Amino acid sequence: MRLHRLSGDMGILAGAFVLLWFAPSFASDYALQISFRVMIYLTLAESWNLLTGSVGLVSLGTASFVGLGSYVAFGLANHFGAPIPVILVVCALAGAVLAALVSPALFRLRGVYFTVGTLALAALLQLLMVNLPTFGGASGIFLKHDPPPLASLYHDALSVALVASLAMAICARTRISVIIRAVRDDEDAAAQMGVRPYRVKLAAFALASALIAMAGAVQAINLGAIEPYGAFGLQWTIDALSMVIIGGIGWRLGPLAGVLFVVMLGEMLANYPEAHIAITGVILIVLIRFAPGGIVGMFARLFTRSTRLSSP
Amino acid sequence: MPDFGTVASAILSGLLLGGMMGLIALGLSIVLGVMRLVNLAHGVFLVMGAYAGLYFLKLTGFDPLLALPLLALGIAALALPLYRYLLAPLAQRGPEAQLMTMFAVAIILQNLFVFVFSADTRSIERSYATLPLSLGAITVPLIYVIGFAIAVALILAIHGLIAHTGFGRDLRASAADPAAAATLGVNVQRVQMLTFALGTACAGVGGVLIGVAFQFSPSSGGAYLLNSLAIVVLGGLGNVPGTLAGGMILGLLQSLGGLTLGDGYRDIVGMALFLLVLVFRPEGFLAARRA
Amino acid sequence: MRKLHKSLQAGVLFAAGALGLTQGAAKADEIVIGASLPLSGPLAGFGSFQQWGYKHAVDEVNKAGGIAIGGKKEMVKLIIRDDQTNPNLTASNTQTLLSRDHVVAMLGSCTPALVNAGALVAERAKKPIVTGCDPLQVFTSVRKWKYAWDIFFSVPDLTVAPFKMLAAAGVTTNKKLAIWHDNGPDGQANGKKLWPAFAKKFGYTVVQNAEFPINNAQFTSIISEAKAKGADVVLVDAVTPPAVAIRKQMASEGYKPKVLDIEKGAEPVQFAQALGKLADGVLVGGYWDPTFPYPGAAKLAKDFEAETKLTSSQHIADSYAAAQILLDAIAAAGSTDADKINAAIAKTNKTYVVGPIKFAADHTATLPIVSEQWQGGKTVIVWPKKAATGKLLFPMP
Repeated sequence: MRLHRLSGDMGILAGAFVLLWFAPSFASDYALQISFRVMIYLTLAESWNLLTGSVGLVSLGTASFVGLGSYVAFGLANHFGAPIPVILVVCALAGAVLAALVSPALFRLRGVYFTVGTLALAALLQLLMVNLPTFGGASGIFLKHDPPPLASLYHDALSVALVASLAMAICARTRISVIIRAVRDDEDAAAQMGVRPYRVKLAAFALASALIAMAGAVQAINLGAIEPYGAFGLQWTIDALSMVIIGGIGWRLGPLAGVLFVVMLGEMLANYPEAHIAITGVILIVLIRFAPGGIVGMFARLFTRSTRLSSP
Repeated sequence: MPDFGTVASAILSGLLLGGMMGLIALGLSIVLGVMRLVNLAHGVFLVMGAYAGLYFLKLTGFDPLLALPLLALGIAALALPLYRYLLAPLAQRGPEAQLMTMFAVAIILQNLFVFVFSADTRSIERSYATLPLSLGAITVPLIYVIGFAIAVALILAIHGLIAHTGFGRDLRASAADPAAAATLGVNVQRVQMLTFALGTACAGVGGVLIGVAFQFSPSSGGAYLLNSLAIVVLGGLGNVPGTLAGGMILGLLQSLGGLTLGDGYRDIVGMALFLLVLVFRPEGFLAARRA
Repeated sequence: MRKLHKSLQAGVLFAAGALGLTQGAAKADEIVIGASLPLSGPLAGFGSFQQWGYKHAVDEVNKAGGIAIGGKKEMVKLIIRDDQTNPNLTASNTQTLLSRDHVVAMLGSCTPALVNAGALVAERAKKPIVTGCDPLQVFTSVRKWKYAWDIFFSVPDLTVAPFKMLAAAGVTTNKKLAIWHDNGPDGQANGKKLWPAFAKKFGYTVVQNAEFPINNAQFTSIISEAKAKGADVVLVDAVTPPAVAIRKQMASEGYKPKVLDIEKGAEPVQFAQALGKLADGVLVGGYWDPTFPYPGAAKLAKDFEAETKLTSSQHIADSYAAAQILLDAIAAAGSTDADKINAAIAKTNKTYVVGPIKFAADHTATLPIVSEQWQGGKTVIVWPKKAATGKLLFPMP
């Protein structure tokens, strides 16, 4: 049954991927750029949804791993001339390794301390990058060679988003989802069932961090120039968090719905920047209060009560 | 190697500044202890206090430090509707919903500040804020001594309030076990509301001190929030004198870090210490209760 | 479960639909140019001046009937987007302006991080971008530009100014120099290389050279070291928030050097507003003043102050000139073709409000530097003598 569901998801993802892969041949540059942004944000949002919606770890550390991916990618590209697939794999590893390294500190205490710890981690990394001249200090680093053309970058972003979506499909559609849910709902009970909460949380944190680092790498290559204030900027964290809350935290389609909503809102309000951020904040407050399931949750309530994925 | 005067001055200013930071952190600490809420808008409340002090001076001509009780009451009053309409309805929904709501409040307020006050750097201009206080080879800014005295007085007052009054007893009961406190007839929601107002007032008063001693802009809050978190971890949650001690230790270490590694490493010392304490001494805080 | 698949499909369709977002179409008879500016965030102060400069230049051209393209006069439309002082947004704004709004050319943002982020995007799209607000050596260190052009000051000119000013004023100090600089691109160039080199040349001893992060707030260690070493001259490279902090903390640490020069940070009016009397005597390099003997200089500041009721800043001048250079080039090209406009920019040779502009081979045009000093809430030019509008306050009060 579950495998059947999984293969169904895979089919849809494969179809969407093939369709979107050929977008550069018919879509305008603008549509491609928007899609590129959607793919990057989708990866960040899926990762945040896995951590917060599924495992129950509220992270404010998205920026740490975006920045990590950016810097590792530039190091590999500038010093070794590494091709993008290699860069992505190494960035994913780097993200997972950093997550594993800091997890003893972050997981030591439950609940809000993980949240605070991730926030502190992002701040620490940004301060280190600002202060260490080896990594360009506050001036940052430039990509030595011109970045690849937009269509090629779009394909990279699409591939990263596909990897993220596949990983989420596997997490939601296999026995893993049961384990994850057990850990989220009651760590102690899960431990008595023979599940090791620490390992499950670490695996989810490492996976999410690997995905975020890959997205950070593609975004950095697209920019051609990075510096600590942008690469480790709190804005990445705010974006990922608000997209998932708006879309529907814990819902499979929540991140996608949230990303599309926020990106389109951003384009519509591009000429009213202060209003844009304030409106995002107000939407967040209203949704948290009145519609904890976000856009997807509201629609689901309209149709049925049984599609909530994380329920049995 | 810096001379004796430089080192001694740095150590003393670190301790004094740390006392002020302790007051700011105390606001975060009591809200965390009683409401299980890491108030991510704490830094923004601090900036709000600084603007309140600045405009109080501009409009009335009175010294904002003399009017601190008034400013504190004003800022605390602003916190009440925030609690009533945004936080209280989420009380049953776990700490995450409140945490993210305050995050959103922080984003909105910060943008509101830019809109209303512009992104310019401001400072509350007082002649005594830029006077040195010298004792032999040791020189510290006079404002550090004033700020430290105010902070310590307030921290002790809050300590007395929590340790020796009826409200304090209710507060301690609510922090230990809200459900049990409620069955004993404690109005937990009222306690939480007043605690939130008190925590916000701490940030606001800290903001006035920061505004007089240093400078601020709409985006200044983040650094103070992170600093306060480190102090709360160092000092122990809900431990009022511990928060003062935590602030002074952090101030001292940051000063020494600045002296040996360069002023740029001050904040890094704070963040690194925070993560290290989490690794090696997690039982130093929150051992009795889980968030 | 059926429903789930349906909603998943709906999501994919939704995504595909998002690709076809409505395209902002330019009217056929308009010349569209774009700019991404820091209108919010820490650099909002600069952004608002630049916005005025850009708009003012475009308004003047439109009032005069527009620009002839292929013999037909067309109006100029300037689209400005806010990058919130975030280079990620400067890049994505520039991408959107180029691809959705089909701008023919761009005007730059402010400070190296933002200008470079936007210029890299324009360069890749092969569209011209004219900018100010990016020190020339920082601009040229990024890459060899083909479509990006920068009018601003040259870093060595700015760096040597305090030394030349002190020499010309004939004042006596103990020649002990403290250098405090941030670790941004220009801070490092000034503090690590140029100031020490010039100090040697002008006979100063560098007793302290301290580096700090761009947004540092605490300077007590740095200040007490300089005080202990008895430096009479302090040269600082910092943005405004730390510049304010430094000046305040120097006073509260009881450190009074004879000369204090704070590059970058002491330039905007907010520096003096935040500090009040403490700002008096602080020196800063400038590249423009309404008293400059160039056509339209006095009028530009007057127009700004009449329109906005605010004190003018030198940032209205380089932005105004950058926009004029671009508009003149479009007119000279008589076309909206990117390469023709780019070729016309390269041929620029005219005196603008900031002085004579002729681009060098590395796409830069240098603005001259003067030394200014805050006196009673206003800046006074104290060097060079021919541009001076007041006398040097020495030693610093």
